[in-house]
Amino acid sequence: MDHSSVRLDGARKSFASPEGTLVTALAGIDLSVKPSEFLTLLGPSGCGKTTLLHAISGFVELDAGRIFIDGEDMTHRPPNKRPVNTVFQSYALFPHMSVGDNVGYALDIARVARPERNARVGAALEMVGLGGLEKRLPRQLSGGQQQRVALARAIVARPKLLLLDEPLSALDRKLRQAMQIELKTLQHELGIAFVFVTHDQEEALTMSDRIAVLNGGEIQQLASPGEVYNRPANGFVASFIGASNLFTGSGSGSGAETIVRTSAGLTVHARMALPSSGPVTALIRPEQFALAPDTGTHGLSELPVSIDQVVFMGMVFEIHGRTDDGQKVVATLPASQQSRIAEAEGRRRAVLTYDPASVHLFPAVSEAA
Amino acid sequence: MFRHLGTKALLAFTVLFFAFIYVPIALIVIYSFNSDPVNMMRWSGFTLDWYRQILGLRNAASEAALYIETTEQLLAAVKNSFIVAFSTTALSTVLGTSAAIALYRHPFAAQRFYRVLLFVPMLMPDIVLGIALLIFFVGIGGQLGLGTIITGQTTFLTSYVFIVVSARLAGMDRSLEQASADLGASEWTTFRRILIPQLMPGIMGGALLAFIISMDDLVITYFISGTNTQTLPIYIFGMLRRGIKPEVNALAVMMLVFSFAIAFAGLYLRNRKR
Amino acid sequence: MSTLKARKRQQLALLLGPVTLFLGIFLLLPLAIMVVYSFLMPGLYGGVEWTYYPHNYGRILGFADPEFEVFDPVYLSIFARSVSIALITVAVTLLICYPAAFQIAALPERWKNFALFLITLPFFASLIVRLFIWVLILRPTGFINETLGALGLIDRPLDLLYTEGAVILGMVYIYIPFMFLPLYASVEKLDWTLIRASQDLGAGAFDTFRRIILPLTLPGIAGGCIIVFIPALGNFIVPAVLGGAKSMMLGNLIEQQFLAARNWPFGSALAMLVMAVVLVLLFIAIRQERADQPGSGHA
Repeated sequence: MDHSSVRLDGARKSFASPEGTLVTALAGIDLSVKPSEFLTLLGPSGCGKTTLLHAISGFVELDAGRIFIDGEDMTHRPPNKRPVNTVFQSYALFPHMSVGDNVGYALDIARVARPERNARVGAALEMVGLGGLEKRLPRQLSGGQQQRVALARAIVARPKLLLLDEPLSALDRKLRQAMQIELKTLQHELGIAFVFVTHDQEEALTMSDRIAVLNGGEIQQLASPGEVYNRPANGFVASFIGASNLFTGSGSGSGAETIVRTSAGLTVHARMALPSSGPVTALIRPEQFALAPDTGTHGLSELPVSIDQVVFMGMVFEIHGRTDDGQKVVATLPASQQSRIAEAEGRRRAVLTYDPASVHLFPAVSEAA
Repeated sequence: MFRHLGTKALLAFTVLFFAFIYVPIALIVIYSFNSDPVNMMRWSGFTLDWYRQILGLRNAASEAALYIETTEQLLAAVKNSFIVAFSTTALSTVLGTSAAIALYRHPFAAQRFYRVLLFVPMLMPDIVLGIALLIFFVGIGGQLGLGTIITGQTTFLTSYVFIVVSARLAGMDRSLEQASADLGASEWTTFRRILIPQLMPGIMGGALLAFIISMDDLVITYFISGTNTQTLPIYIFGMLRRGIKPEVNALAVMMLVFSFAIAFAGLYLRNRKR
Repeated sequence: MSTLKARKRQQLALLLGPVTLFLGIFLLLPLAIMVVYSFLMPGLYGGVEWTYYPHNYGRILGFADPEFEVFDPVYLSIFARSVSIALITVAVTLLICYPAAFQIAALPERWKNFALFLITLPFFASLIVRLFIWVLILRPTGFINETLGALGLIDRPLDLLYTEGAVILGMVYIYIPFMFLPLYASVEKLDWTLIRASQDLGAGAFDTFRRIILPLTLPGIAGGCIIVFIPALGNFIVPAVLGGAKSMMLGNLIEQQFLAARNWPFGSALAMLVMAVVLVLLFIAIRQERADQPGSGHA
């Protein structure tokens, strides 16, 4: 028996572009979402995340591969026969129906008796904090309220799985952050899996149990937010999520110690075994850097840079610099070190240190990645 | 720049512009109440006789003033116009709406062909369509009359409905239909409960437009109506060629009132829907 | 083939079948027959002889069937007159509507909507009624002559009706909404900061108009001109009601071939000529619009 909420086996889909060429949206995706898991599909526009979502909801028919929901084969089921519901990016509230009729729509279709239907509509609206607004029309509500109605409408029929297609993208920053927390809470209460599509990495890191990073119709990495951030599988993931300093070269070393030497002769130390033979990329996040103490040795690795610019960002300073061979480096340093940063800025040079244990290595595929 | 040129001059010009459109209309409304039976534009007193005459009521005017051929002919023309307008509106609304939905829903190879096909009758000079239909109907041995008028008008009225409904569809959120399917509705339910209610203002607008254009169509109807069937515009056209009688004036005013009433109704419907 | 695709195909056939059948039979087929007719020999007593006969087109240019006819440019002159009347109509409506469009675009929102409503309203009124009004105004015992006579300005009525001028006046009157709406659409879109920018850069009123306003409203001007020219060229109602024998246009000529002279093939050839002019214009318009698109995309 299958213990996934939804499972895709080798899902493939291509579309004809307006220019007539064939664009691959899904290049053979295998994915299994656990029950009551919050899974985020993250990637740039055109990466296939929306196609993947539509394949699950049934609006896109796969060219090849299969889809199982709760262990049942849904590959050829039309959308209206699938036990999943969607929160649309535009909310897609029916403008000619009241809030109550919007939320009750699925129950009316399923011919749920009136008293039960009304009770469930009321409960769903209550759950999203809009109790008693049944009689209003969608256009009389604010953007945030419309969003909640869309949510209530999608959960009222108790789907096995809730799909969310960039539902927060139209909200302003403050409201979005509040909704992120509410969505998490709601998911816990409902105990069903959420598949959430976004291009906003911050949103993905905040909310998800696991993140599937997509690019070019393929899953680049499927892991927890911490794993994706700290241990990206490749250059795409590393640069798509968070700022990153990447050093590509040949790796050498023994056991858990590796030295990466770039073609320009720069070396980076890592306390990590070489992931593969062949060229390797070392990742140092900007916040892993510190300014070297003025005197003495400190057991940390060093990277001397010339400073191009120092930007004050509130809690931190961002230092844009350049190594001796011209590679750009970004470091964020706490604002508490202001005086030392100013000093370094005056010299236009600084020595950045990092802990080799915080350096992550992954195989370098190509320069382009 | 027009500020320097004089906003006043521009404003005065615009007032004249509207005067050019509406003064003639005002004139015919006023003079339709003129009692002079011979010279319609020389005011000689107020009367409602011409309206009475059209409606077939007895009036005080002398027998010599009874110019209108027969009230029966006029009433028959009015009746024909309504029969034609209602039939063509029904037909073209169904054809135009279904074509618009088909092209919106299903991207397919012949899309472009259909768009051109549905645009052509609107852009074509109506005289060309009129004679093409005449040749065709005579060629297949059809009896010219109400049937040919209805068929002929429907060919180009379909385009108008198609364009109005397509515009409405283009502004529609595609995810509404997806949301409906997602919530378990069958295609038929989605069609009935989401698509049609959303489209209704467009369908009504298209139907209204088709109705007005049908009531007013002269050129195409002129060629395919045959000798025994007259619609209202054909009747007036004939009268204008034979000589103008004061009754026509009253009839024209009644037609203006009727079309303006429809226009207002359309506007009211549109504003209410928004 | 999956069931989903099959169902979609079925639906498509259901939605498009009737309209395809209807327009195929009552639009495309008649047009095709008309094309064929234009290449047939006219029958002696109306109708057609089923023999290939290219002289219908030659007759338009003055060169017809060499066996029966001599060179006669009468049809060519009617064609030329039709084009010139249509062009004058276009020019006059443009000159009237263009300034008005600027004034109306500058009105406050409520007045703007009301003005637009007033301009579109006549479109709903019967065409024949609107022309009839002008007969009442222009004829010898019409409003103008009566008024001038009563004021003692004229002794005998002026010949206003049944002239080319009356035809142009009638055309202008009925085509004003056609010209105004596309014009207005482009005038309203005009970004007034561009005009201020132009003045700021030292351009005077004339330069600003010629180099900024005119190019930016050109799509509306072109659209309005084409939309007026097409129906004006083939119009036969306006000349029939307001024009005399000397202002015969292509439309009247075509009507005559069908309802009086019963030379259907020649009438068909004339209709083909009108159609050809329209198609060329539309083709140019569509190409122009395509060419403009990348540039105007962000406007």
